[in-house]
Amino acid sequence: MVSTVWQNPVLLIVVPLGLAFFTPIIGLIRKELVKYIPILGMLFNLTLSLFLLPKVLDNPIIVSLSGWKPPFAINLFVGPVGILFSILISLVGLLTAIYGINYIKKGAVEKYHMLFLLLLTGATGIVLTGDIFNLFVFFEILCISSYALVAYNQDKNGIEAATKYLIQGSLGSAFILLGIGFLYGLFGTLNMADIARNITTVDSPALFIAMALFITGFGVEAAIFPLNAWLPDAHSSAPSTISAILSGIAIHIGIYAIFRVLYTLFGFNSIFTVLAVIGIVTLLIGEMSAFRQENIKRVLAYSSMGQMGLIIFALSIGTVDGISGGLFQIITHTLSKSLLFLCVGYMVYSTNSMELSSLNGLGKRMPLISLLFTIGVFSLIGLPPFIGFPSKLSIILAGLKTGETLFLILIVLMLLATVIEGVYFFRIIQILYFKEPDKEERFKTPFTLLFPVIILGLLIVAIGIYPGLLQEILDRSAEIFWDKLSYIKIVFGG
Amino acid sequence: MDFLYHNIHFIGAFGLMFIGLYMIAVKKNLIKKIIGLGFVETGINLFLIIIGYIKNGTAPIFSKAGLDPARMVDPVPQALVLTAIVINVAILALALGLAIRLYGHYKTLNVEKIRGLKW
Repeated sequence: MVSTVWQNPVLLIVVPLGLAFFTPIIGLIRKELVKYIPILGMLFNLTLSLFLLPKVLDNPIIVSLSGWKPPFAINLFVGPVGILFSILISLVGLLTAIYGINYIKKGAVEKYHMLFLLLLTGATGIVLTGDIFNLFVFFEILCISSYALVAYNQDKNGIEAATKYLIQGSLGSAFILLGIGFLYGLFGTLNMADIARNITTVDSPALFIAMALFITGFGVEAAIFPLNAWLPDAHSSAPSTISAILSGIAIHIGIYAIFRVLYTLFGFNSIFTVLAVIGIVTLLIGEMSAFRQENIKRVLAYSSMGQMGLIIFALSIGTVDGISGGLFQIITHTLSKSLLFLCVGYMVYSTNSMELSSLNGLGKRMPLISLLFTIGVFSLIGLPPFIGFPSKLSIILAGLKTGETLFLILIVLMLLATVIEGVYFFRIIQILYFKEPDKEERFKTPFTLLFPVIILGLLIVAIGIYPGLLQEILDRSAEIFWDKLSYIKIVFGG
Repeated sequence: MDFLYHNIHFIGAFGLMFIGLYMIAVKKNLIKKIIGLGFVETGINLFLIIIGYIKNGTAPIFSKAGLDPARMVDPVPQALVLTAIVINVAILALALGLAIRLYGHYKTLNVEKIRGLKW
């Protein structure tokens, strides 16, 4: 299946991991070189993922490590969903790394870049692996590096937020490990396909406990409603590049993990209704909390929480259309929220304040950044012709297609939440454009800060105008993500 | 009593986890919360070991003839625990490092007094 060494999907994990370990050594030789290493790694990942995408759309690739066949080896399941996530991770990682060249200057720079690469490695590993314990290990790589990166500025808020995040997050990962223990006790295997094919043979309350432990554990990272106290603090106190990565990638990885485990391993249908309701509750609470914030980064953090609710709702509809809509919304949120955090990072950097009032009249002082910020906001609210419109529309259509009263009520609540979202985001736009600035002078934006934001803005508009570019890939991904039997068949080569 | 005799190891493992959860939830001192985290993780490691354990079992090495495979201890959970211990060391070290920094900023470890952000 894999024709040459350079097309092996393992490289998506190996190359950034290796580069991450070489970073401190290169830092010893030439300190200025360190900041280009993440760009190199992510460029490689992006190229390889884009190259692999058309291949895995037909046939997902199974990579068994060290020559053993599954279920004895750790295998990678490189399907369209994994590659789709891998493209998103490497794209946002690449753009954020370019942004970081001029943004991250003080502090332990080489450690920042090492942890940054490790975070992205962990995320890529989670979406590609087919082994439940391997998933846990990559999850811990992702979590530990993100705890450390939240505290990177070493100021009061950053350290406090990181401590909070660490305690809640590691309790969550402890639950996951306990859930893995239950599964191993029941099935004697850690391979997801092997567990999935034997799951019907066991009817035990331990199975339900394991599922609850997985949802709780991954739910901390995915910011499901009662487990998300850390999110607004961590996302608002981290450096803006890290906020972009956390909001754009890390929380989606939590959601991917929950639904990979649910769709492939357990497949209890009754849990999806509960999750759909929890999703909408998360959405409403997130948007309402965002409404009354005065700190721009906290507004964005709470808005991320709301969007997570929306994605959980879409993925819990339990039809291929719903999953396709959910994946589309993940792409929307990744692109828009990283764009917003990167724009806000520059605004905060120039004005030295995160209060909404300090943004007065910035539309005149930094016109391009403000324009791109507005694009991101419109896309999140779901206005045409930006990417948020087709994705929200497809979620609503998928919900209506089920024809159930519960989903109808939930969709009405979702639209209500969108209205709240619109109100607070339009307030920020009003502050940007219609308030008088304190000073007249314009800011000069360095090219390395401007370039990533422009690319993200262009992608948002381009996909918004031609959603057909993605629709086919998303539908195929959703089909494979949902279909448990074909997953088992592909892994065991039947 | 018979139940206790057969399940005492599970009770011990889950007991450790609950002590840890209690400490994280109730104690106000950050260091005690971190110790609680250590308790939870130790409990889980113990649980994983118990899953694969056989009384009077041997190591699963086929070097000597005449060893009974049914008496061999499952090595996979032990490998898992080894990995988990390494991860826990990283987490606890990072947590203690953050606690030191937090003490430097606030001159206290009482989480009720550390309220720069909303807890």
